[in-house]
Amino acid sequence: MKNRWFWGRLLSSIGVLAAVLVLNFILFRIMPGDAVSTIIDPNFSPEAKDRLRELYGLDKPLLEQFFIYIKQMLTFSFGLSFLSRKPVWDELISRLPGTLFLMATSMFLSSVLGIWLGIKAALNRGKLAERIVLRAGAVTASFPGFFVQLVLIMLLARTFPIFPLRGSVSIPQPTGALSVTLDYLWHMALPVLSLTLMGFGGWALYVRNLMLKALGEDFVLMARARGLSENRVVYGHAFRTILPPILTILLMSVPGLVSGAVITESVFSLHGVGTFLLEAVSGHDYPSAGAAFYMLALITVISNLLADVVYGLVDPRVRVGGRDQ
Amino acid sequence: MTDILKRKSVILLICIFLTGFLGPMLITGHPSDVTGAPFARPVWWNAKLPLSSEYTVGNKAVDINWDKLPPEIFALNGRVTADPVKEVRIIWSTPHGEKVLDILRGSDVYWINMDGRDMIFKQKLGLPLIGKSVEHLFPSKGRYTIRIDGAEETELSLSLSGGREGLLGTDQRGRDVLTLLIFGIRTSLIVGISATLIASLLGLGLGLATGYIGGWFDALVMRIVDVLLSIPTLPIMMVLAGLWGKGLWQLVLILSIFSWMGTARSVRALVLTVRESPWVEGLRVLGAKRGYILRRHLVPEAAPILLANIALGVPGAILAEAGLAFLGLSDPRLISWGRMLHEAHSFGAFTEGAWWLLIPPGLGIVALCLIFMDIGRYLEEEIDPRLGSGKNA
Amino acid sequence: MLDIKDLTVRYNSMDRVTAAVNGISLSIEKGSFTGLVGESGSGKSTLMTALLGLLPPRTEVTGEILYKGADILRLSESEMRNLRWKEISLVPQGAQNSFTPVMKIKRHIEEVLNVHLGIFGEDAEKEVVRLLEDVGLDAGIKERYPHELSGGQKQRAAIALALACSPALLLADEPTTALDVIVQAEILELLSGLRKSKDLSIILVTHDLPLAAMVCDRLVVMKDGMIAESGTPHELVNYPRHPHTKDLIREMFWQRNKKNG
Repeated sequence: MKNRWFWGRLLSSIGVLAAVLVLNFILFRIMPGDAVSTIIDPNFSPEAKDRLRELYGLDKPLLEQFFIYIKQMLTFSFGLSFLSRKPVWDELISRLPGTLFLMATSMFLSSVLGIWLGIKAALNRGKLAERIVLRAGAVTASFPGFFVQLVLIMLLARTFPIFPLRGSVSIPQPTGALSVTLDYLWHMALPVLSLTLMGFGGWALYVRNLMLKALGEDFVLMARARGLSENRVVYGHAFRTILPPILTILLMSVPGLVSGAVITESVFSLHGVGTFLLEAVSGHDYPSAGAAFYMLALITVISNLLADVVYGLVDPRVRVGGRDQ
Repeated sequence: MTDILKRKSVILLICIFLTGFLGPMLITGHPSDVTGAPFARPVWWNAKLPLSSEYTVGNKAVDINWDKLPPEIFALNGRVTADPVKEVRIIWSTPHGEKVLDILRGSDVYWINMDGRDMIFKQKLGLPLIGKSVEHLFPSKGRYTIRIDGAEETELSLSLSGGREGLLGTDQRGRDVLTLLIFGIRTSLIVGISATLIASLLGLGLGLATGYIGGWFDALVMRIVDVLLSIPTLPIMMVLAGLWGKGLWQLVLILSIFSWMGTARSVRALVLTVRESPWVEGLRVLGAKRGYILRRHLVPEAAPILLANIALGVPGAILAEAGLAFLGLSDPRLISWGRMLHEAHSFGAFTEGAWWLLIPPGLGIVALCLIFMDIGRYLEEEIDPRLGSGKNA
Repeated sequence: MLDIKDLTVRYNSMDRVTAAVNGISLSIEKGSFTGLVGESGSGKSTLMTALLGLLPPRTEVTGEILYKGADILRLSESEMRNLRWKEISLVPQGAQNSFTPVMKIKRHIEEVLNVHLGIFGEDAEKEVVRLLEDVGLDAGIKERYPHELSGGQKQRAAIALALACSPALLLADEPTTALDVIVQAEILELLSGLRKSKDLSIILVTHDLPLAAMVCDRLVVMKDGMIAESGTPHELVNYPRHPHTKDLIREMFWQRNKKNG
């Protein structure tokens, strides 16, 4: 049973990936038209133009281009950038860790903080603690992220110069592994902090609701009836039961995190895939833009697939299937 | 229905609406007019900075009592007529001595266009080429005099742009922020509302169609929805904005394409439940055609859901537009709050500490979002009891 | 062993105060099999909840519940926790949702063994198998999740779980509702047998008088939070005095005739 369901989800994800590839192709190959003319000096000789076209593979029939394109995407051979004439992959791979770090740390921190607050709120029904959490959650959900970030920069990097104004690293870069790491963390502090602040509210509200529902269930009462300590009941039984949806939401929050990371990277001028995409799009650098977009879409598709798989693994009701009563 | 008008958020929205659409008509001048020095503070901030002042310099000398910090710009413009043989001197007298700003000879009419920021100006006075000349022109508090020696007719205007200007200061070009803010209301509202309307209509249409027709059409559309939902929204919008151009209506279109899915799903779910209900069954038995049922019964049923979805969808559209504008992917000639934030971010607001370039547009965006979310929540609450007592009973 | 003296339980909900249990006095002898019979709202479930000290916060309780001399209502929470499951345990009504969905059956039982009896590891696992076999379940059940079990299996597992710490008093709250007749009989037989083999006192709560009459050695009829009548099944079935008891018996005969006729 598990197998059939798993392959089904995999197939579905492959379908989405295929759609993304087609979309990518349409956006970055067909739509720009004769892309070569946009980037090169019109004074180039026709032969030079043709050679450039050949270089970028733009002279072949469309269908053939499509299959070559698919192969390239799947092997991550993204060709050369229109702007820098350097391999796109090199640039992309240097930026990927930064973006992933940003996404991973903010996801971790906002979910942990949000979950903890959500549980506290559920356990303190009607008391001040719960109301504070609910308010905070509602407020943080409605503020445009980049505005909060801009304000934070103004406050904590200019008015009180605690953090750097921009960039992923200081220039010149410090020497020594420890200094470099600390410098990087110091630069990433505000971005991660802002993303965490914006993200924890939703988590807190969601987890609070889940916990309240779980705590009202019969099996929780039964766990208490069995003489188990309150801690055991809350964390071992109630919380454990809401873990599957939490894990799913965790993975489903990735697409939103991607968008958030792109904006954050722009606000803080970080060295990441988001700023790379922005530069490429603004500069009409189609190979780079296509590659950057593809990477981001890939991250999204993979995380969605993982969300389904992990849910199946963690929730035995889905994994093993039930018996008819 | 009329008691929605009593809600604070709606009143606020109406005020913003009126300000946004009537304001531009009442404001003289164009928002891109330079009204003062770049990065001027709001007039109520830091009283040590001077306000802008302008003096007409005629044949008599003009005395100025200066008790604040130096102004941002020192500009002298106009015309001087004199005997070509005589020497004309433009003298600026400070508490610390006199400075000769220019010596003119050889013509009977001189056109003066002096700006303290020009290199030539600084050179003539022997001031360092880097740094502000106004600090040397206004070394301390006291009495200053501008006079023209040796001229016949003087028609000059001395303009001292202050460090404080306007209710909300000026941006990096010297444009008045309050004006920009008011002009930006239209953009946010137009983009937010029209994008959401289009998306909702699209969602309504597709929701009704898939719910009612079902079959392969339903499967196909739902697949498309899944794919669209799996694509990271901001990146794809960035790409489309970059490829299709940065105009207003392109933006609206792009935003619509990625917002109709939620509405479509809700409407489709509604149609699926209603379709099997007895009274629709009855209508069919009586011979009502599919189109009739759709138009006369299902659409009104879906309308309240649609309204709530619209109200809740507008904040998303406004935020998306602001986001894209902030990234620099909107029309530079179009005044929008997102664009203001972009320029603040890219043109040195931070180094200047120019918080007045950040807070007003940012708060404006927040305010609109909160207002529409409040309205949406109110509509949702109104819908709920109706669902229980609706025709399905 | 168990002495309930003039127990009254009042719920404060919204604007009304309802007395779910209204001045009940009851004694349970060691080793007895008592049937607590009544319809929904008669207060029997509230009584069970009170015995475990699990009444919701805003309830008004007066009276005494003496268990082996100590008043349950006046014990501290940690003392109560010591009492629960080790002395008094519960086979809940509708075992459907009484297991934690994401925990294996084995884990449920091992947990109480760990916490109450200090039995861990392999010893615990062996004990789990023994308990399951005692209730007629295959040892493989321990690796299953609650949703994989049938209604009857869940009921038996709940009984095994309830007996894990060898309590002195077992409360069985409507253990046979929603099960088919054959399984009902099996469960009742199981309970009877266990009573003898484990020297257990059982309180069986049910709305089904004939059912209780078959296995219990004493019946207590409840209505509207009060005791209507009590006595042996023989007495109550043949010589009912309270009008409600008479109603229940009439109902019972009518049902039986319906089945036969």
